[in-house]
Amino acid sequence: MNGLAADERERATDNVTRVRVANGPLVGPVLWRVVSMVLARADWSVERLDDALLVCDALCAHAPAYATDGRLAFSVQADEYKAELRVLELTADGATGLVRDAMLPVVGNVLERIADSVSVEPEERGEGSQLVLVLKGPSANA
Amino acid sequence: MAPEMELALAARAENIAIVRHALGGFGEAFGVPEPKLSDIRLAVTEACANVVVHAYPEGHEGPMEVTASMHGNELTVLVRDWGRGIRPRSDSPGLGLGLSMIAALAEQLQLGHDSDEHTEVRMTFALSGDAASTNGWHA
Repeated sequence: MNGLAADERERATDNVTRVRVANGPLVGPVLWRVVSMVLARADWSVERLDDALLVCDALCAHAPAYATDGRLAFSVQADEYKAELRVLELTADGATGLVRDAMLPVVGNVLERIADSVSVEPEERGEGSQLVLVLKGPSANA
Repeated sequence: MAPEMELALAARAENIAIVRHALGGFGEAFGVPEPKLSDIRLAVTEACANVVVHAYPEGHEGPMEVTASMHGNELTVLVRDWGRGIRPRSDSPGLGLGLSMIAALAEQLQLGHDSDEHTEVRMTFALSGDAASTNGWHA
C-alpha cells in the first residue's frame, strides 16, 4: 500500500484526522462527513458547521484541478475555539490557484469570506503546496 | 494500487464515529446498498474498537489507519495499528465477540501483519453488481 507517510501516522496521536481519497466523486461525500463529525464533536453550532461545509463545497469544486497522483488529501482538527482544515499535497501553485478559483461574482471569494484565516504553505517535502483554512469556533470570543 | 480512501487518526473511542461516517460517504459514492453498508460499518466499528481497547497499553495512545479499496464488486477494508498485536487477553474488558461478529459479516477476514509487522485486520465484503459501477467508478 502506498499509505500515509510514517510521520503522518506518528502525528495521528495528536487527534488530527487525516484523510486521503481518490480524486473524483468520492471527495465530497467523505470530506463532508469527516468535517461534520469532527466539528460536531467539538460542539460547534449548526450555523457554524454549515459555514464549514460551505467551505468544503468550495474545496470539492476546485481542489480536484490541483490534485497530485490522482488523490486529494486533507487534515482536520477542531476544538471549541477553532477548526483548522488543510488541503494537502496540492501542486506547487495549487493552493494559490484554489483560492483564486473560489471567487464568485457579487459574493467575492467564498473561502476568504467564510474562513477567518486563509493561508498558503509549502509542503514539508517536495514542491507541493498546502491550503490552510482556520474557522473560529463557538467559544472563540468567550 | 493505492486505496480509494485512507484515514489516519488517533485510536480513540470518539474517533470511531469518524470512521463510520467516512465509510458512509464511501458507500454513497459507490452506491453500496444501505443494508450492506450497515453490515460493513458494524464490522469496521468492531475492528476499530478492538484497536482502541486492545492495541496499545493502558495509558498509551497510538494511531489507527483505515483504508478502503474497491476491486471489481468487492470492497476491502483494512484496519491497521502500530500496537502489540492480536493475542488472547484474560483481562479483556469486552465480551470477546468482536472478531466473531466481523467474521459473520464479512465474506473474508484475515488477521495478520504487514511487512513492517504492524497489526492488520483485513475484511472483504462482496457487493452487488450495481455497486461500484455507479457514478462512473470502474475499480
